[in-house]
Amino acid sequence: MKPSVLLLPILIPAIFGALMFILPRKARHTVAFLVAGINLALAIALFRNNLIYSFPWFAGKIEFALRLYQFSGFIMLSAAFFAFLIVIYSLNFMKGKNLQNQFYAYILLCIAMANGAVLADNLLLLLFFWEGLLLILFGFIAIGRPGAFKTATKAFIIVGISDLCMMIGIALTWMQAGTLTISKINLALTPMAGFAFIMLMIGAISKAGSMPFHSWIPDAADDAPLPFMAFLPASLEKLLGIYFLTRISLDMFKLAIGSWISILLMAIGAITIILAVMMALVQKDYKRLLSYHAISQVGYMILGIGTCVPVGIVGGLFHMINNALYKSGLFLTGGAVEKQTGTTDLHSLGGLRFKMPITCACFLITAASISGMPPFNGFFSKELIYDAALSRGMIFYLAAVVGSFFTAASFLKLGHAAFFGKERNELKAVKEAPLSLLVPMIVIALTCVIFGIFNYLPLNHFIQPVLGARLEGHSYAGFHVNIVLTLITILVLAGAFIHHIFMAKLKGEGLKAADDIRYAPVLSQTYDLAQKRFFDPYEIGLKGMNVFSRILWAADKGIDWVYNSFVPGVSYGVSKGIRRMHTGYYPVYISWALVGMFAVLYFLRK
Amino acid sequence: MVPLFVLIPFFSIIILNLFPKKLMQHLSFVWLGFLSLAQVYLVAARPVWFWDTKLELWNLLFSFRYSVDVITLVMLLCIGIVVFISLLASRAMISDVHQRVNFKNLLLVSLIGMNATVLVTDVFSLYVFIEITAVSSYIMIAMNKDRLGLEGAFKYLILSAIATVMMLVAISLLLLLTGNTSFEAVGAGLAGAGNSLFVRVSIGLFLCGLFIKSGLVPFHGWLPDAYSAAPAPASILLAGIVTKVSGVYVLMRLAISVFGLTPSVQALLMFIGAVSIIIGAVAALTQTDFKRMLAYSSISQIGYIILGVGCGTKLALIGAVFHLFNHAIFKSLLFVNAASVEKELGTTDMDKMGGLTQRMPVTGITSVIGLLSTAGIPPLSGFWSKFIIIIALWQAGNFGYAAFALLASIITLAYFLSMQRKVFFGKLRSGLENIKESSMGLIVSQAVLAIITLVVGLIFPLVISWR
Amino acid sequence: MALNLILLVLLLVAGIWTVLTTRLVRSVVGLALVSAVVSILIFRLNSPLAAAFELSVCAGLISVIFVTTISFTQRLTAERLEERRKERLGKYWYLPVILIIFGILLVVFKPKLDFPLPQVPSEQDTRNIIWHMRHVDLLGQILIILAGVFGVVILFKEPKK
Repeated sequence: MKPSVLLLPILIPAIFGALMFILPRKARHTVAFLVAGINLALAIALFRNNLIYSFPWFAGKIEFALRLYQFSGFIMLSAAFFAFLIVIYSLNFMKGKNLQNQFYAYILLCIAMANGAVLADNLLLLLFFWEGLLLILFGFIAIGRPGAFKTATKAFIIVGISDLCMMIGIALTWMQAGTLTISKINLALTPMAGFAFIMLMIGAISKAGSMPFHSWIPDAADDAPLPFMAFLPASLEKLLGIYFLTRISLDMFKLAIGSWISILLMAIGAITIILAVMMALVQKDYKRLLSYHAISQVGYMILGIGTCVPVGIVGGLFHMINNALYKSGLFLTGGAVEKQTGTTDLHSLGGLRFKMPITCACFLITAASISGMPPFNGFFSKELIYDAALSRGMIFYLAAVVGSFFTAASFLKLGHAAFFGKERNELKAVKEAPLSLLVPMIVIALTCVIFGIFNYLPLNHFIQPVLGARLEGHSYAGFHVNIVLTLITILVLAGAFIHHIFMAKLKGEGLKAADDIRYAPVLSQTYDLAQKRFFDPYEIGLKGMNVFSRILWAADKGIDWVYNSFVPGVSYGVSKGIRRMHTGYYPVYISWALVGMFAVLYFLRK
Repeated sequence: MVPLFVLIPFFSIIILNLFPKKLMQHLSFVWLGFLSLAQVYLVAARPVWFWDTKLELWNLLFSFRYSVDVITLVMLLCIGIVVFISLLASRAMISDVHQRVNFKNLLLVSLIGMNATVLVTDVFSLYVFIEITAVSSYIMIAMNKDRLGLEGAFKYLILSAIATVMMLVAISLLLLLTGNTSFEAVGAGLAGAGNSLFVRVSIGLFLCGLFIKSGLVPFHGWLPDAYSAAPAPASILLAGIVTKVSGVYVLMRLAISVFGLTPSVQALLMFIGAVSIIIGAVAALTQTDFKRMLAYSSISQIGYIILGVGCGTKLALIGAVFHLFNHAIFKSLLFVNAASVEKELGTTDMDKMGGLTQRMPVTGITSVIGLLSTAGIPPLSGFWSKFIIIIALWQAGNFGYAAFALLASIITLAYFLSMQRKVFFGKLRSGLENIKESSMGLIVSQAVLAIITLVVGLIFPLVISWR
Repeated sequence: MALNLILLVLLLVAGIWTVLTTRLVRSVVGLALVSAVVSILIFRLNSPLAAAFELSVCAGLISVIFVTTISFTQRLTAERLEERRKERLGKYWYLPVILIIFGILLVVFKPKLDFPLPQVPSEQDTRNIIWHMRHVDLLGQILIILAGVFGVVILFKEPKK
C-alpha cells in the first residue's frame, strides 16, 4: 500500500462534505450513505497497516505527517463504524427536517476531520483538525431547533477555550521537545513539562466532555439534532478525546504511577463520575438524562487511564469503545422514541414496551451494558477499571462503585418511566420505528453483547496491541476478573434494583423513584442551585464577563468610534486627496518621478 | 533548445505575415495559442529533450547566452498563461480584421521581448528587450486611436523615455566601471569597486528607471492612465505581465544577482514597497472606474512583491516570486472580468453597474475569487504568498513592515468588498435587465484563471516545493 | 573643455527652442541642431562611428519622419495659435529655471566623482563588436524596427471606409 493512501480518508469525506452544500436535494442521502460506506471500507482496509506519509508543508517548516498504526487504525475504524450507522439512522430520522444539506455536510466533514486528527503525527496538524472539529461542532448544534444558536455559542466558547489551552500546551511541548512530531516526543515530567501536559490534557478531556468542560452537552441534548448527539458527544468525541489523552499519557510524556498528574487525572475522573451521575439521576427528559451519562462515563475512562497501571489503561480504552457503543445506542433509542411519539419528556412517556418492542429490547441491552451488568461489555471494562482503581486507592474505587450504583438507578428510572409503567392514552397510536432507525440500534446492541461475551475479540485485536510491551505478555481477555470485586458489583446493582423497586412502589411511579435522593436534606438545595446552572463554569464565566464588559463598555465605544468613523473617514479623505493629486497632467507625473529619483539618490548617498 | 523561446516567435512573425490577412488572422490565432500553451507545457513539465539539448549548429551562427533558474521559469510560465489569455480576449473584444492581425503581430513582438528579457544575462540586452516590450505596449494602448488611448500611450511613452534615459545612463556608467555588460562581469566589478559615488549613482539611476517601469509610487503616474485607457486585451497583457517582466522581474534579477542586496538597497526597496502598498490601496478606495481601481490595486500588489524582495531572505524571495506569479494570474483574471463587463455594458464606470452576478454568473463568481485572492483570503493562492512575505518579514526582524503589510491587506479587502458590492452583488440596477453573459472566449479564460487561483491555493505546499 | 561647455549650452538652448517654438520649421531646425551638437560631442568623445550614425540617422532620417508626420496635422487658427503660445509658456517656464538651479547646485556642492576609471580596451572595432559579440542585441534592433513599422502601420494608416 502506498503511504499516500492515507490522504484518502481525509480527502474523500472532506470533498464530498463540501460538495454536499451544492448537491441536489435527492442525491444527498445517497451520497452521504455511499461516502460513509466508502470511509468504513477504507478504515477496514487500512486497519492493521503501519504507514507513514509526510511531506514538507508551510514552506518546508512544518511536516505534514500522517501516521497509521495499530491505535490510530482502531480509532479510525470505530469512528467510521459509528459514522456509517449514524448516516443510516439519519436517512430516515432527518427526513423532512430543515437544513439537511448542512447536516450531511457536517457529518462528512466531521469524519474527515476526525480521520485527520487521528492520523496526524504532527501536533500542529492535529491542532488544525481539532479546530476544524470545533467549527463543525458549532455548525452542528446551530442547525438544531430555533434557539440552538445560543447553545452552539456556549459549546464553541467552552471547547474553544480549552483548545486554546491545548495550543499553549503544544507550544510548550514544542519548546521542550524541540519537535512537533508526536511519535518523536518523549518528555520526562519536569514541572514545566507537567504544565504542558495539563494544557494538552485540558484539550483532550474537554473534547471528551469531562467536567468542568461539560456544561454544553446537556444543553445541546435539548437543542441539537439527535443524530448529532449520538455521533459527536456520545461516540466520536469520546474516541478522539480519549485517544489523545492516551497518546499524551503513554507516548509523549513519561507518566509514572504515583506522579501527581496521575493523581490529578484520577481525581478528575472520580469527580466527573459522581457529580455527573448525580445530575443524571434527577433529569426528567430522556435526552438530557443520557447526556449527563455521556459526561459521567468519561470519568471512568479518565480514571482508568489515570491509574497508569496496564489493567487500568486497558480498561479505560475498552470502556471508551464500549461507551461509544452503548451511549450512541441509547441516544438512538431516544431518537426513535422522539421520532415516533414526538416527545422525549419522561412525564408524557410510558408503557412503550409493547408499542416499540425492538426499540425497548435494544434499550434494555444497552442500559444493562452501561450499568455494568454481566455479561454485557460495560461490565468487563468497568471491572478492569475497578481493579486498577482499587490498586491505587480505596477512595477512587468507592467513587467508581457509587457511580455505578447511581447509573443503574437512573437507568432503571428511565426504563421504567419510558418503556414500562402505565401505557398512556395519547400514545395509543404509536408504532414501532422504521427499519432504517432499527438497523443501527440492533447492530449496536448486538455488538454490545458480542463485546461482552466474547470480550477477547476487542481486547485481543483492538486494545491490547495498543499497549504492546507495557502489558508484559499479560492478557485481560476472558472472564477471570477479581471474584470479590465482581460480587461487590453485583451486590451494588442488586441494591440499586431493590432501591428502585422499593421507591417506585412508595411513590407509585417509576419516574419518582429517585426523588429520595433529589430531596435529601443537603442535596436538595445543591440540586436546586445546579438546576439553575449555578455551578456551570460557563455561566460563572459569563457573569464575570458581564462585570468586565461593563467596565470595558466606555472604552469600547471609543474603539468603535475609531473603527467605524475615524479610520474610514481618514482613509476616504486621504484617498480623495490622492485622487485629486492625480490630475492626469503628465508634467506633474514627470516631476514626481524626478523628485523620487533625487530622493532615491539622496537615500543611497552613504 | 532554450533560445527557441525567442527564435520561434521571431520567425513566425515573418512567416505569418507572408499569408493574406484573411487567412493569417485565423492561422496566427491557432499558432499563437499553440506557442503560448507550448511554453506553459515546456515550463510546467520541463521535458529533458527540450531543456538539455543544445542547438550546436545554430550556436555557430548566433550566440545566445542565457541562464535559467526558478525565477526565470516562473516568469516564462506566467508569460505563457497571460499571453494565451490576452489572445483569447482579443478574439472576443476586437472585431475589426485588420486590428486583430495587428494586435497579434504586436503580441508576438511583446512575447519575444518578454521571453528574451527573462532569459538574457547581459545588462544591455536587458535594456534592448525591455524597450521592445515597451514599444509594442505603446502601440497596443494607442491602437484604437481614441483620445484616452492616445493620452495613456503618450504618458507611458514619456515616462518610459525618462526611465530609458536613466537606465541607459546607468548602463553606460556600469560599462565604464567594469568594462563589460554581462551580469557576472558587472556583478564582479561592482563587488570590487567598493561603494563610491559612481557606483551609487549608477545603481540608484538603474533602480529609478525600473521603479518607473514597474509603476511604484511615486514613479507610477503613467500607470492608471495607461491601464485604464488600453483596449481590453492590451490591458490584460500590460497589467498581467508586461510591467511585471520589464519592471519587477528585472529589478529582482539585478538586485539579487548583479547589485547584490546591500543594506541600503534593501531599506530603499522595502520603503518604496511599503509606500506603494499604502498609497495604491488608499487611492483605490475612492475610484469609480473599474479598470482604474484595478490599476491602483496593481500598484499596491507590486509593492508587496518589492517589499518581499527588499527583505531579501530566502523565504521572502520565495514569497515574492510566488506573489509575482499569483499577481499575474489574479490581476489578469480581474482585467478579463473588467473586459467582459465592458463588452456587455459598454462602460467601466462602477456607478453604472449593480447586481451583475444575476446576469453574468461566471464573471461574477470568478471576480469574487480574483478579488478575495488579491485581498489575501485563505485558502486562495494570494493568501499564501502574502502570508509567506509577512512571515519572512517577521522572521527577518522587520516587525514594523510586517504589521504594516498586514494592515494594508485589510484596506485591500475594504476596497474590494465595496467594489464587489457596487458591481456584482445587490439588486440588479434598472436598465441592465437585458445584459447577457459575455462571449465564450472570455468565459473560458475567466474560468481557467479562477481555477488556477483556487488550485494553487489549495495545493500550495506542492507549488512551493516546485522547482 | 571650453568648447565642450559651449556645445552643451548650445545643446540646451537648441532643445528648449525646439520645444517652445510654435513654428514647425523652426522646431525641425532646432531638432536637427540638437542632433548635430550631440554628434559633435560624441565625435569629441572619440567615437567617430557613433557620431556618424547619430548625424545620419537622427539628424536626417528622424527629422524627415517627424516633419512628414506633423505635416499631416491641421493648422491652427491665428487666435488659437496665440492662445497656445501663452499656454505653452505657462506650462514650461520652470524647465530652464530648474536646470539653472541644478547647475548652480552642482557648482556649489561639487560632488566628487572619485572613481578611477578602468582603461577600456579600444582596439576592438565597433563593427566587430556588433557583428560578433552582440547577436542578441542585433535581433533586438531588428525587432525594434519591426515594432516601429507596425506602429506606423497601425497608428498612421487611415482605415478604409
